[in-house]
Amino acid sequence: MVEIVCWVAAIFATMLGMASLSLTLPNHWRQVTGIETSLPSRSEQLSLRILGYSSLVVALLLCLAADHPSMAVLVWVMLLSLAAKGIATILTWRQHWLKPLVWLFNRTELN
Amino acid sequence: MFSSFRQAMAWLHTWFGMTLGFILMVVFFFGSLSVFDREIDRWSIPETRFEPQVMPSFDEMLLPILRSVEPNEEDYNTNMPLLHDLSQGPMTPRTELPADEFWAYTTHRDPVLIMGVGFRVPQPLDPEGHNHIHGNITIDPRTGKALPDDQLKIGSKFFYPMHFSLNLNWNRIGIYIVGIAAFIMMAALVSGVVIHRKRFREFFTFRPNKQTQRSVLDLHNLTGMVALPFHFFFTFTGLLIFASFFFFPVTHTQLEPLHKYHEMVEANETGLPHDRAGVPAEMASIDAMVAKAKQRWAEKDMPGEVGFLQINHLDDANSYVSIYRAGSDRVALVGEGMHFSGTTGELIREEPPRSAIAEVEEFLTGLHLQHFEHWLLRWLYVFGGLVGAICIATGFIFFVEKRKRQHTLQGSSGSQVVDALAVTTVTGMLVATVSMLVANRLLPAEMVGKGYWEQVVFWGSWSVMLLHAFWRSSAVRHMRISPAWREQSILFAVLAVAAVILNWITTGDHLLKTAFHYWPVAGVDLSLLVSSAIAIYAARYLKKRENVAVNKAIEFSAQNLEASRG
Repeated sequence: MVEIVCWVAAIFATMLGMASLSLTLPNHWRQVTGIETSLPSRSEQLSLRILGYSSLVVALLLCLAADHPSMAVLVWVMLLSLAAKGIATILTWRQHWLKPLVWLFNRTELN
Repeated sequence: MFSSFRQAMAWLHTWFGMTLGFILMVVFFFGSLSVFDREIDRWSIPETRFEPQVMPSFDEMLLPILRSVEPNEEDYNTNMPLLHDLSQGPMTPRTELPADEFWAYTTHRDPVLIMGVGFRVPQPLDPEGHNHIHGNITIDPRTGKALPDDQLKIGSKFFYPMHFSLNLNWNRIGIYIVGIAAFIMMAALVSGVVIHRKRFREFFTFRPNKQTQRSVLDLHNLTGMVALPFHFFFTFTGLLIFASFFFFPVTHTQLEPLHKYHEMVEANETGLPHDRAGVPAEMASIDAMVAKAKQRWAEKDMPGEVGFLQINHLDDANSYVSIYRAGSDRVALVGEGMHFSGTTGELIREEPPRSAIAEVEEFLTGLHLQHFEHWLLRWLYVFGGLVGAICIATGFIFFVEKRKRQHTLQGSSGSQVVDALAVTTVTGMLVATVSMLVANRLLPAEMVGKGYWEQVVFWGSWSVMLLHAFWRSSAVRHMRISPAWREQSILFAVLAVAAVILNWITTGDHLLKTAFHYWPVAGVDLSLLVSSAIAIYAARYLKKRENVAVNKAIEFSAQNLEASRG
């Protein structure tokens, strides 16, 4: 049971990580803000990157908590793929789901 | 020839991918199915739908059964004349061959126990050789009752070999073809990253509403990149598993004498006798050895059950028993083998700690062969495999989309052929697979040669799909979408639902009964239903796109007409 909680949390953590990392790319930032000309500033990019990579590290720790290390690493790598595909799908059909992330770092763009 | 490195890579990627991609498609799809091969076995042989068991008492249950096994008739007829030395007398009759070796194998996903006997050829042509005629048996470990061994285990004996050998067994040609395709896969991955490296800036991009060529390329890049580690590691470890086969097939050809010498040296070092002593002896209790092995594993902080057990040189003073642990709790395939003297029951040898290289090798092969118990990771592997299949399929469609206009103007049928082959390897393969499952439920269990007919249905329906794809492909020549894509999707959807219903009718197992109670069967049924729903969605979407394409094709021919007039 504990491991299932860890896996679910890890899935969310990798999704959050990939979402933050996707927003550091200007194309995807524009997709989410919906403003053609907007760009993430350097500081926004940096904080998104920090949040992104640290979420991925948290996900790894969660995987390690659930399984034998050799197994946990495999689960983590596969979850990264799954999350990347998941975020790509969200960016295609449900961009607005990622708005809270932009809002977290930038209050002016969306108003 | 090429003005830049990138162009050269693009050429390599396009043409090697185009030719061997069809093989890779089969490898990826059946690899994904192989993740659940034992579950598919349960679905296809209803007598075996019960929970996995630990290995039962060897002395009480397995030994008497193994003693009653007879050499396989086909094996005897084929191999006995090759192994026996006629100058020493006539061949020993089949049922009188003495047993030399017993083995039993089970996993955490196998409710059945597979066992076998290696029979000795008393007067061999080559006394140094491996002179065995085999006889195998599958039993229900709860009762010891023999289960029909002639029914085809569709998952582990057809879909799984399809993954690495395409079931082409003549001179193992299939394994070589898959090996070459795997090399090409490695090359395609590297060249793909080189030609699409700019895409890393728009890593998560998929634009389904752009024109087909654009959105297909998006999906190709996306599926290639997100699962890049998976694609790379599975191709690499797949090659590694067969490395001795692909790279150094010399141990049994040029180096055969050295190989035999090495076996002798190893036997000396390990103390495990290489040959029979020729002195008959009573066997000690095997169960006692199993208990001792389990105790040693527990002391080494890896308690576990027995996965594989083998008795060598049976009923001989030199006999020994090897007991290996079932490796379900870690990735590396480690048996932690314990070897006992067969006559005294003493522990002769415990496998020493492995070198770092061996450990890496075992981890890499283990991650591919996945004997471990981890349902989430198994599903993630299915995801990875199917993403790979999407990547390859979109590669074909991109090839066609990019060239069909040009081919139409030149009167070439290139893109038409590629499109038909793509239909055959994408939807056609699905139809063939599910047809086999339907045949499995329709043909009576007691039918002689049932497994053979199931294979006939598989290959037959695939061939029909090939013909259908070519018959319908003329649409591509007219700049439209081949209706074969949609028609085969619908056929697949119908057959998949039929398989689930037939499973219910013939066995009484429906989802309400199996879900949460017997996942192997419920999982297969649910996957079939979900795939069917996706296929119906795809068919409806294709219908819409076909209509759009028809309008475009009309515009295109009008332009052509004007151009030729003007």
